[in-house]
Amino acid sequence: MKNTLTFLVLLLCSAVSTLDAQQFISRAGHVRFFSSTPLEDIEAETVQMSAILDAGKNGGFAFQIPILTFHFDKALMEEHFNESYLESEKHPRATFEGAILNWEDLNPTGDWQDVVASGNLNVHGVSQTRTIQGQMQFNAGSWEIRAQFDVLTADHEIRIPKMVRNQIAESITVYVDAVLTPR
Amino acid sequence: MVRFISPAWFVLVLVGFQSYSSQGQSLLDALDTEPTAHPVTATFKDTRVINMQSNETPGAGVLHFVIAHRFGRINEGAYSLWGLDNASMRMGFDYGLTDRWTLGVGRSTFQKTYEASMKGKLFVQKSDNSVPVSVTYYGVIMANGLRWQEPDRENLFSSRLSYVNQLIVTRKINDRTSLAVVPSFIHRNLVDITSKSHDQWTLGLGGRHKLTHRVSINSEYHFLVNGLDEATTNSLSLGVDIETGGHVFQLHITNSQGMFERAFLTETTGRWLDGDLFFGFNLSRVFS
Repeated sequence: MKNTLTFLVLLLCSAVSTLDAQQFISRAGHVRFFSSTPLEDIEAETVQMSAILDAGKNGGFAFQIPILTFHFDKALMEEHFNESYLESEKHPRATFEGAILNWEDLNPTGDWQDVVASGNLNVHGVSQTRTIQGQMQFNAGSWEIRAQFDVLTADHEIRIPKMVRNQIAESITVYVDAVLTPR
Repeated sequence: MVRFISPAWFVLVLVGFQSYSSQGQSLLDALDTEPTAHPVTATFKDTRVINMQSNETPGAGVLHFVIAHRFGRINEGAYSLWGLDNASMRMGFDYGLTDRWTLGVGRSTFQKTYEASMKGKLFVQKSDNSVPVSVTYYGVIMANGLRWQEPDRENLFSSRLSYVNQLIVTRKINDRTSLAVVPSFIHRNLVDITSKSHDQWTLGLGGRHKLTHRVSINSEYHFLVNGLDEATTNSLSLGVDIETGGHVFQLHITNSQGMFERAFLTETTGRWLDGDLFFGFNLSRVFS
C-alpha cells in the first residue's frame, strides 16, 4: 500500500515535471537576410529554420538554419554565397543557443511582447555572444517569435575580397520569424 | 530484496535518469536531424572547362555571354608578338530555359562558323553519393559560313553542317577538385577526301583544382579514338580560371585554335613539343 502510494506520488511528480518542461518547436521557421549597397541589393530566404523553446528552463531557446537551403534570385549569387563566403559544405548550419532573458515576465496572451534573447550565435563556424531583441506572442497554443538583427561579416570571419566590397554590405540584416508549436 | 525492485524504486530511477539526461542535453541536439542530401553545385566555375563543356549551365532565366580569343601561334616569335597579332574570336550566348536546360548560339571567326547548341543536366551528383556523378548532355550543330570554293557547281546547304554529341560525366571529388570524362561523337556531312570517315569518336578528360576560392587551375585532353592522320594531334590545354563576381576569366595555353567542338576535337594541329601553341582566353558574363 505504502509502495503504491509512493508510486502514485512519483508518477504525479513526473507528470508535473514534464508539463513544466514543455517544449515548443518549429521546423519551418522563416529567415530572410538582406545586404544593401548603392551598387547591389542581395536578398535570400529559407523556410527551413528549426527552433526550440524550453518553457521549463527559464526560457531556453535555440535555432538552427541549414545554410544550403537559402535561396537567392540569382543562381550565381547562391553559388558564391555557398562556395566562397559561407563555405556551406564545411559549415552547413548557423545556430543560436541561449535563453530568453525576460521569460518570467512574459504573459501567455495574444499580444506581441518585447523579449531579449542572449546566447551564442554561430555563423561560418565562428561563435559570437549576442543579445538580440525580438518579440513573442502566445497565440492558439503556440509561441510566435520574430526578430531582426544585424550580423557583421567580419565578426564571423566571412572574408569579402576588395573587388566586391562595394557590392556586399559589411553588416547583413537578418529577419527571423517562426511559429513554435508544443512538442 | 523484494522492496528494491518494487515499481516505486523503478520509477524513481527512471525519473532520475530522465532529468539527468535532459540536463546533459543541449537544446540544439533536439533540433538536429539527419542532414538531407542536396545536389552538388559548383563542380566547375564556368560552363566550359577550357575548350570543352563542363556540366555547368547558366540556370533558369540567365543569359550567359562568353567572348573568347585564341591568338596566333606562340612560336611565330617576336615579329607577330608571339601570336598576339592574329586573333581568332568566338562569341556565344547561352540562355537557361530551366535550371537544367540551356539553348545556345555562337559564332566563330574560324571558318565563319555558326553554332546552335543544347545542353541539359540528365543527372546531378548528390552530396550523399546516392548519385555519384553528374551526367550532362551537350549537342551542337555547326554550320561552316565560308563562301563555296566552287560556286558554279551545285552546292547543298547540308554540306556545311557538322554535328557533335557529348555526354559530360563529372564528379566533384572534394571542394577543390573536380574531374570530367567526356566521350564525344562527331559527324560531318561533307569530308574533304572521300577516304576520310564521316564519323569520329573522341574521349576527353578534364579537371580543375581550386587554389583559392576564386582561382583554379584547369586542364583537358581529348584522345581521338579513330586515330590521327598526319596533320592532326590530340588536343591538350592548360589554363587558369579567375572569378570576379559576375565574370569568369579563363586564361589558357592550348594546341587547338578552333573554339567549337568539331574543330578542337578533330582538327587540332598544334604540337606542344614544338611550341606550336595558342594563348587564349574566355571571358564570361551573366545577365539575369
